[in-house]
Amino acid sequence: MPLRFIYIFFFLSPILSLAQEKKADSTLKILDEVVVSGTRTENKVSNLPLPIEVISYKNILQSGSQKLLDILQMQSGIVVASNPLGTALQGYPNPFGEGVQMQGLDPAYTLIMVDGEPLTGRNAGIINLGRIAVGNIEQIEILKGTATSLYGSDALAGVINVITKKPVKNSIGINTHYGTNNTLGVSGAGNFVGKKIALQLFVNRLSSDGYDLDKNIYGKTVDPFEDYSLNAKIVYPWNDKNKLTISGRYFSDNQHNNYLIFPDMVPQVVKGNTIETDKSIFAKWQHKMNNSVNYFTSLYTTAYTNNAAVFLEKNDSLYEKINLDQLLLRPEMQFNIGKDPASLLIAGAGYNFEKVNSTRYSSVKHLNSWYAYVQKQLHWRNRTNIIAGARFDKNSLYSAQISPKIAIAYKVTPDFILKGSVGAGFKAPDFRQQFLDFSNSLIGYTLLGARELGNGLINLKKNGQIDNSINIQPYLNGVILSPEKSIGTNLGFDYTFKNNTIFKINFFRNDISNLIETYNLPFNKTNNQSIYSYINLNKVFTEGSEITISHRFKKNFSISGSYQYLIAKDKEVLQKIKDKQLYKRDPVTGETSLVTKEEYKGLYNRSRNTAQIRLFYNNEALKGSAFITVKYRGKYGYNGLNGFQNGNDVLDDPREFVQGFVLANATISKSIGSLVEVQGGMENIFNYTNKLQMPYLYGRSIFININFKL
Amino acid sequence: MKKMNLGIFAIAIGALMSCGKTDTPQPTPTPSVSVIDSVEVPFATNSYLLYNFKNKTKVANSDSATSKWDIGIRFVSIILNSHSSGPGNAGVITQSGIYSSYLTAPETGYAYDTTAATPAINAGFTNGWYNYNDVTHAFSPKAGLFFVIRTADNHYVKLEITAVNYAGYTPPNPTPTTLIYKFRYSYQSDGRNF
Repeated sequence: MPLRFIYIFFFLSPILSLAQEKKADSTLKILDEVVVSGTRTENKVSNLPLPIEVISYKNILQSGSQKLLDILQMQSGIVVASNPLGTALQGYPNPFGEGVQMQGLDPAYTLIMVDGEPLTGRNAGIINLGRIAVGNIEQIEILKGTATSLYGSDALAGVINVITKKPVKNSIGINTHYGTNNTLGVSGAGNFVGKKIALQLFVNRLSSDGYDLDKNIYGKTVDPFEDYSLNAKIVYPWNDKNKLTISGRYFSDNQHNNYLIFPDMVPQVVKGNTIETDKSIFAKWQHKMNNSVNYFTSLYTTAYTNNAAVFLEKNDSLYEKINLDQLLLRPEMQFNIGKDPASLLIAGAGYNFEKVNSTRYSSVKHLNSWYAYVQKQLHWRNRTNIIAGARFDKNSLYSAQISPKIAIAYKVTPDFILKGSVGAGFKAPDFRQQFLDFSNSLIGYTLLGARELGNGLINLKKNGQIDNSINIQPYLNGVILSPEKSIGTNLGFDYTFKNNTIFKINFFRNDISNLIETYNLPFNKTNNQSIYSYINLNKVFTEGSEITISHRFKKNFSISGSYQYLIAKDKEVLQKIKDKQLYKRDPVTGETSLVTKEEYKGLYNRSRNTAQIRLFYNNEALKGSAFITVKYRGKYGYNGLNGFQNGNDVLDDPREFVQGFVLANATISKSIGSLVEVQGGMENIFNYTNKLQMPYLYGRSIFININFKL
Repeated sequence: MKKMNLGIFAIAIGALMSCGKTDTPQPTPTPSVSVIDSVEVPFATNSYLLYNFKNKTKVANSDSATSKWDIGIRFVSIILNSHSSGPGNAGVITQSGIYSSYLTAPETGYAYDTTAATPAINAGFTNGWYNYNDVTHAFSPKAGLFFVIRTADNHYVKLEITAVNYAGYTPPNPTPTTLIYKFRYSYQSDGRNF
C-alpha cells in the first residue's frame, strides 16, 4: 500500500483515508481507529499487538464535558487518584490535584503527552489535566502497559496521548458551556486551509465559582478559578516531500485561595492565588527521501510555572510564597524506513535540556539527558504482527537505562486476535527526590533530596542545627538514586462476533522495584527533629484483567461495558507476613497479633473491582442523540479512614475501606438546522459525594451547551 | 483548596482506660506489676514529660537531674535516664514481637542516649517507633514493637505504647495542643522475669 504510506506522513490526502475506512467498514462494522501512540507512526488499532483505547472527539462532544479528568474517569480501567504511591511529608491532604490511576499504578507512572510530546510540571507526581482544553482534542489515545521502550521515563503504567485537531478544512466554531457552580466555558476555533498553508487557532476560557462540601470548615472545598487556553497551529506542506508543522500552546490558570491558618493557636484568614502557566512551542519538519525512507526533525520547548502566594487578610502581609519554574527543551529526530505501515523500522534519538527552579531548592538545577530508540514492526504472512524495540536513556544523575519491549499479535482467524507484550520500564527520580531542600517551620524537620543531602547537612551543621559531635562525613557524597524499574506484561485477545460485537480481554501484571521512599537519618537536629532523605526501597506488583464488550445494535444504537479486576500488593509486606514479622494491634483491646496473608488486602487506594457502561443512541430523523455513561468504583482502602489505626500502615482491616460508589452522567444533544447544536446534561446523577476522601467530586450538577459551527 | 490542619481527624479510638492501675501481689518469686496508664504531653513546651515506672507517676521537671525518673517524652521523642539524658542507669532494647508473650528481660544489650542527637529510641517519621499518617497526621505506635527497659535504678520493665491521640483543641481552632500517650507496662522489682 504505497499510497497509504504517503497518507501516514502527509495529511494532504484525507479523502484517501476516508475511502480506506469505508473499505474497512464493509468488513468490520466496529470502528477501527488510527493511532500514533503505539508505535510513533500511524497504525490501525487492529494491527497493534497492544492494549490501546481511543476516545474520539465525537465521544468527547457527546459527553458535553469540559474537563479532561471527568472524561477519563468514565473510561474503562481508569480511576481518579490523589494519593502518591510513595510517602510524602507535605502535611496537608493533597493540594496537588488529582490524576489517573492505570493498571493500579499511581498518576506519576502514566506519561501524559500532547501530540506525542510530554507535559512537564508534576506536583507530587500529578499533572493538572485541566491544562488541556477539551475543545481542541481530536482524539485521546490511551496506551496501557509499559511504553518506556518508545517514550522513556514515566511511561510505566502507560501513556495518555492527547492528539489535537489539525486544520483540514475551512471552518469556524464557537462552543459555549454553562453549568452548576456558575461554571462558564467559551471556546472558539478557526481553521483556514489555503492552497499552500493551513492555519488553526483555538481559544478557550473556563471559569467556575468552585464549591463547598463542608460548611463547617472555613472557605470553600474548591475555590474559584479561571483558565485561559490558546492554541495555534501552522501546517505548511511546501511540496510532496516536505512538510513543516509549527504549533504553540499557552495555558494559564488562576486558582483563588482562601482558608484559615492557626499561627500560635489564633485563627487567621489567608487569601491569595496560585497561578499556573504552561507554554510550549513545537516545530516539526518532515521530509520524505524516497518511497521507503522518510524522517522528521523536531524541536519541542515547554515552560511550566506554578506560583502560589497567600497573604494574611488582616494586614495584607505575605504569609507564604512557593514558586516552581520548569523548562524543557527537546530536539529530536526519527527515521521511518519501509513501505508497509505495519512493517516499518523506526529509529530515533533526542536530547533533553531540563532546568528547574523552586523556592524549595537551594539553586537552579539542570538535568540533561539523551536517548535513542529503535523499533521494528513486522507484518508476517498476514497473520502475525510483531513489534520489537528498545530505548537507551543516558542521564547524568543515574546509570544508563536500556528498556526493551516486544509485542506480538496473532490472527487465529480474522475475527480472533491473540495479543501479548512484555516490556521494561523506568521512572527517573523526580526533581523533588533529587533536589528538595525543605525545612518545616511548624514542626522543624528537614527533608533533603538525595543529591542535596551533603550540602544540606553541611549547612545545617554550619547553622548549629546539627550537633558538633555528629559525624556527617559518610553522608556528604549524597545517595545516588536509581530509577524505579518495572517489568510489564500484557496478554489477551480480541474476538469479533457477527461483525457487530467485540469482546476484548487483557491480563496485565506490573512488577515494580526500587520504589523511592523517604527515610530518616540515624541522628537528629539539635531541635530533636529528624532529617529525611530519599532512598530506593520497596517492591510492589499490580495485576489483574480488563474485559470490554461493545455491541452495535443498529447504526444508531451502541452499548459498551467494561470491567477491571485489580490486585496490587507490596512485596515487602508479603515477605514480612511470610517471616511472621508483621503485626496488628486491636484498636479496642490493644492486644497485638500477627497479620495473615488472607488479611492483607494490598495497597491503599486501589479498587479490586471497577466497571463501566456506556450507551449511545442517535436518532437521525430527530437530529438528536443521547449518551449515558455509568462508572462503578468498588471499595478501596484508605489509610486512617475515620481515624482507624492498628499500628501497621497496611490495609488489613474491613474498617479501612471506603465504600464503593457509582457515578453516572447523561447528555442529550439536538441539532437545530445545520449550524447549531444544543446539549443538556447532568453529571453525577446519583449525587455521590465524599468530602474527606474525594473532595474533587461535586454532587449532582447540570449544564447546557450551545455549539455553533460554520 | 481548603487545608486541613494538624489533628482535625485525630479521633480517639478504643476505650478510655486512662489511669486504671492494677496490682496483683503474689508470693515468691516476686511477680511483676502490670500497669495501664496514660500521660498528656503538651506540644508547646521544651521540657520532657518525665515518668517513674515504679511509682506509676509523673516526675516534676525540677527533678530532671536526679534518678527519680526513668523515661521522658516530648512530642514523639523519648529519652532514657542515663548518659547524655540523665544521671541514672536506664537503657532500652527496642523489641519486636508480641508483648504479652515476652517473659524475660536480658541482662545485657541495652542501648542508651549517647548524645542528645542520637537517642536510643528512634523517633523518626519513617523508621521510628510509630507510623505517621501524612493525611490524618496520626501517630500510630507500630504494632508488634515494644521496649524492654532497664530503669534508672536497675530494675526491669517491658513497655508498650498502645495509642497516641491528639487532644486539647477547641473548635473552630483545629490545632491540637496535646498528645495523649496510652501505654501499658510490667514492672519487675526483683529479677528479670515478667
